[in-house]
Amino acid sequence: MATVTYAKASRVYPGTERPAVNELQLDIADGEFLVLVGPSGCGKSTSLRMLAGLEDVDGGQILIDGRDVTHLPPKARDIAMVFQNYALYPHMSVYENMAFALKLRKTSKAEIDRRVKEAAGLLQLEEYLSRKPKALSGGQRQRVAMGRAIVREPQVFLMDEPLSNLDAKLRVQTRSQIASLQAKLGITTVYVTHDQVEAMTMGHRVAVMLDGNLQQVDTPRALYDTPKNVFVAGFMGSPAMNLKTVSLVDGGADFAGIVLPLTREQIEAARTGGDKVTVGFRPEDTDIVAASEGGLPIVVELVEDLGSDANVYGHAEIGGTSERFVVRTDRRHMPNMGETIYVKPRPDKIHLFNAQTTDRI
Amino acid sequence: MRHGKYPFVIGFLAAPVTIYVVFVIAPYAQAFYMALTNWRGLSPGKFVGLENFQRLFTNDDAFWKALQHHGILLLALPLITIIIALFLAFMLNVGGGSQKGIMTGVWGSKFYRVVFFLPQVLAVAILGVLFQAIYRPDGSGMINSLITKAGLEPIGFLIEPKIALWSIIAVLVWQAVGFYVVLFSAGMSNIPKDIYEAAMLDGATRMSMFFRVTLPLLWDTLQVAWVYLGIAAFDAFAIVQTLSVDQGGPDGSTTVIGMEIYRNAFTYSKYGYASAMGVALFFLTITFAALSLRVSRRESVEM
Repeated sequence: MATVTYAKASRVYPGTERPAVNELQLDIADGEFLVLVGPSGCGKSTSLRMLAGLEDVDGGQILIDGRDVTHLPPKARDIAMVFQNYALYPHMSVYENMAFALKLRKTSKAEIDRRVKEAAGLLQLEEYLSRKPKALSGGQRQRVAMGRAIVREPQVFLMDEPLSNLDAKLRVQTRSQIASLQAKLGITTVYVTHDQVEAMTMGHRVAVMLDGNLQQVDTPRALYDTPKNVFVAGFMGSPAMNLKTVSLVDGGADFAGIVLPLTREQIEAARTGGDKVTVGFRPEDTDIVAASEGGLPIVVELVEDLGSDANVYGHAEIGGTSERFVVRTDRRHMPNMGETIYVKPRPDKIHLFNAQTTDRI
Repeated sequence: MRHGKYPFVIGFLAAPVTIYVVFVIAPYAQAFYMALTNWRGLSPGKFVGLENFQRLFTNDDAFWKALQHHGILLLALPLITIIIALFLAFMLNVGGGSQKGIMTGVWGSKFYRVVFFLPQVLAVAILGVLFQAIYRPDGSGMINSLITKAGLEPIGFLIEPKIALWSIIAVLVWQAVGFYVVLFSAGMSNIPKDIYEAAMLDGATRMSMFFRVTLPLLWDTLQVAWVYLGIAAFDAFAIVQTLSVDQGGPDGSTTVIGMEIYRNAFTYSKYGYASAMGVALFFLTITFAALSLRVSRRESVEM
């Protein structure tokens, strides 16, 4: 049980200019489940490995429970990690895999046995204890990797995309298992993923990274409702938010002659970024209206029927270019392909971003 | 396809099988037959049955001495070579930066890799000449010049019957190590990096990492090395021929079966008898290979 602090921690790979992780400032509370998310190459895995001690820290500090571990070797940090490929020892049985760390710590045989059995019970691995990893399925291997971390009773759990090698169904199942296990054990957990659905569903808080820079840390709900910039807005949520940079006119944002009304304050704030503004609205925050009501005319290209509702993909001509839009509709308003629908974003659910700095207005 | 399968396969097999039969199987068969004659190279030999073998096993001190030397070689050569090569390979690959997490070799490992491999590219004949200079028993020998400068008695590396064989084993090890460093390095680089990282997080020291992770995962490679070196231990002819005094001396203290075959065939012209030795060596080697593969067989590890 411990807090984790990244204090302006940086990592610059030798021979590169741009830091892989740039002055990461992040406080993780005791018992918190924090998810690091971002596209590949954003530095999330590097950040995790810095915390594990598998990667050098070139600047700043990393603290675990207030203790400076920046330059300590991995084994002195009291952390356990679940690897993407599980990294099970192929020559050891499941039992030996889980017992290995305890054996190295000279824990008594009885205590090792007790802890391994307990973890095996927790993860439904009892019947596989004498098997070698190659005789296990992907999901079982994943659970052994979890078990190996649990028996250690570490201060911090690190997980590096532990679900990415599982099939879709198992992934959803294991997702909830990991989350509930973490809640039960109450051990501070840092979890890395590129999948924003995992991030939204598992994390107490989610840290979004891009190009080595932390973009925003907040609860999943807050990230979804008030993204701090265009990147976060586009990254969180599926299908992604509609984000368009359009001209600013008196009274609002100009969508090909259809003016989206904005308040005076909003327009003023947007003016600092030139005569354009980036407008975002989520697919579900729209209404399909009659042609006479002045909605955005969208030519439907594809309708994804999800049963309860549908995602409608289409395009509209704005300023001479064809822009793509996604709208969510309920079953009663399911349009046909090639049809033109008129879409109005709900005014109170609009996200505005400075066209130059991409920051939220 | 079903129909013309056999002509197709046979077409491909015919050439290599023919070459193999003519140049490998036939000479073996010939040697087996020769071993049962007293052929001396000129007049056609007479069939003498197992007489050659009888003499070989009951009345040939040199052969038994050679056999003893193979016993020593068989234990010492693989053991020493594998231990040294394993140590060097571990240092070159993962021995360096385990403290900061990135598994790298010790400083300058790329350079050492080349240096270790160099002896491998030297011809054995050159080794013989080289080590004659190094082992020379008086103050002009490379090692003995140091020893005499230190005020000690020079050592007769090759002329002292008690240590002559070990001097030769040292050369064999020195030459072989480079290859096995490369072999083990390849084996080690096959071990996924995150297994080492997991072991590091689990608290493994360099020692426990080596004995509990690297070594068990290298088992297959070690087995191959053991068989190669064991087979090499049944040979050693070239180095004995070029380096030892009196070709297998002094007083037969470094002789090997290959040496005795050579001597009997080309010095005494006892081709039949030499062939009998060759046949004995053939069965020795094949028994060793089969045995060691059987003994060291373990569940192979899948990574």
